[in-house]
Amino acid sequence: MKRSPVPIVLLVAAGVVLLALGPFILPPFYVRVGQLMLYSAGLGLAWSILGGFAGYASFGHAAFIGVGAFAAGLAENSLSSLPSILVLPLGLIVGGGACAILSAAVAYPILRLRGTFFAIAMLGVSHVCAELTNNIDFFQGSLGLNLPAVAPASMDPANFFYWLYLVAGLIVLLIAWQIRRSRFGAGLLSIREDEDTARMLGVPTERYKRLAFVVSAVLTGLLGVLYAHSLGYITTDSVYRDDTNLSLIVYSLLGGMGTLFGPVIGAFLLVFVTQVILARLLDFHLFATGLLLAVLVLAAPGGIIGLVRALRRRRPDMAPAE
Amino acid sequence: MSATSILQVERLSKSFRGLQAIADVSFAITPGSITSIIGPNGAGKSTLFNLITGYLAPTAGMVRFKDRPITGMATNRIAELGIGRAFQIARPFRDLSVRENVRIGALFGKAGARDVEATTRRGMELASLIPLADQPASALTVGQLRHLEVARAIATRADLLLADEPCAGLNPTETAAMIDVLRQIRSSGVTVLLVEHDMPSVMEVSDRLLVLDAGTLIADGSPHEVAKDPKVIAAYLGTPDASS
Repeated sequence: MKRSPVPIVLLVAAGVVLLALGPFILPPFYVRVGQLMLYSAGLGLAWSILGGFAGYASFGHAAFIGVGAFAAGLAENSLSSLPSILVLPLGLIVGGGACAILSAAVAYPILRLRGTFFAIAMLGVSHVCAELTNNIDFFQGSLGLNLPAVAPASMDPANFFYWLYLVAGLIVLLIAWQIRRSRFGAGLLSIREDEDTARMLGVPTERYKRLAFVVSAVLTGLLGVLYAHSLGYITTDSVYRDDTNLSLIVYSLLGGMGTLFGPVIGAFLLVFVTQVILARLLDFHLFATGLLLAVLVLAAPGGIIGLVRALRRRRPDMAPAE
Repeated sequence: MSATSILQVERLSKSFRGLQAIADVSFAITPGSITSIIGPNGAGKSTLFNLITGYLAPTAGMVRFKDRPITGMATNRIAELGIGRAFQIARPFRDLSVRENVRIGALFGKAGARDVEATTRRGMELASLIPLADQPASALTVGQLRHLEVARAIATRADLLLADEPCAGLNPTETAAMIDVLRQIRSSGVTVLLVEHDMPSVMEVSDRLLVLDAGTLIADGSPHEVAKDPKVIAAYLGTPDASS
């Protein structure tokens, strides 16, 4: 039986309206936290197209954040005479394009690997990109790269990037949703479940994996461009981050691997807990974060969405017999 | 397609580092028939299925489907042409429901994306899975999983179904139900190539038997003819005296 999408669409619309009001009602610190939550949710969704839907869990998606950020920064700086309104669109085109080229180039060899081997190979891609950015003068990774300001002068940059991340996150959510309900999405799910059987049923597994990889990489790269602008100044270390590589997996694990809203829930929860609650524990917060994650993953291996589904399935049994 | 055969296997051979799994095997399959391949364990039956579906590349020989050479073609392309396969060990998409499993067959395979819901329903109906449509595949029994394998393969709108031991591990009632499903599939116009060890079922359902032994085709004929073949009796069936 197919469920109507109307309630969930209304719930998302209400959530978006509520989130859009954030900068009007939240103190500046929480606007910054909100920025990070929305950025992380967008990244988690982009990662999930490959890692959650197709089951190819990448441990190196920070490569695309870095490549997107540096490609955009270099292009924008080399075309400094460009009208300011065109700076960000140019950065998005160049950053997204660079990620499309990189992902298409590495897709064929790297997607022949599965499971842990794929994850570790992607970590290698991330580190190679970081080293090249750091050691080749052209990229200015070690010195750092300034990015032109793109926020309108009349607007607080923090609020501007908050809303920009909200719009970007919503676009990524809509893309992921469309993929999930399409023939392509069904093919990705079958690849995640059993790639050989999927192929036997006629799923063009190689083509679908490559397409999912490129889409995921481009969306991650576009978010990387926005992130670079929100920082204003980037170095290799600020965009090629191993903690980002880890967080992207954790968002899906926490919220529900392979689900549409799992990475969003996971990202919101993890960013809020680490930035607002555990950050008060100073040096103790990394230990507390690790402990919390271990407990959550052990208690709810299907993530929060998996836990909710399990509780809903159990509910009829708990009803009184009378 | 030639009038007399939907599948032609021509001098097919496969060796694994010196081990000859399939040796110079040739046969053709008549459209609308149920042909069973029998033989002892290790005779090369599943290898033959792997060669036909493109999962393995042959060392020599050729496979034609509807007169079109399919040797060396990607597995998914062969499925798109109309060859479906039900595995010996059920390989369901465990986290998906029965309906979602069958729907993936309907979305891909030969079906393309046409009439997906109707094709999904027809696949589930043929395999008597409608009451279980919303159950997760992980909750099914062995017998139900065998039906799911067949339903998913049929949902690809296959013209030729390769069923690899669909009755393995089933009790007599479940076996009878599976034989009934295979008959219905044939009635719907699908050609069936069956690998099966359960001899009463094979004799009951098959129009023709092929017997493999150590990768070689040692007999080919009607169930009645093959049952009397001395080579088959020696290699596989045995004599009533020997079994008592």
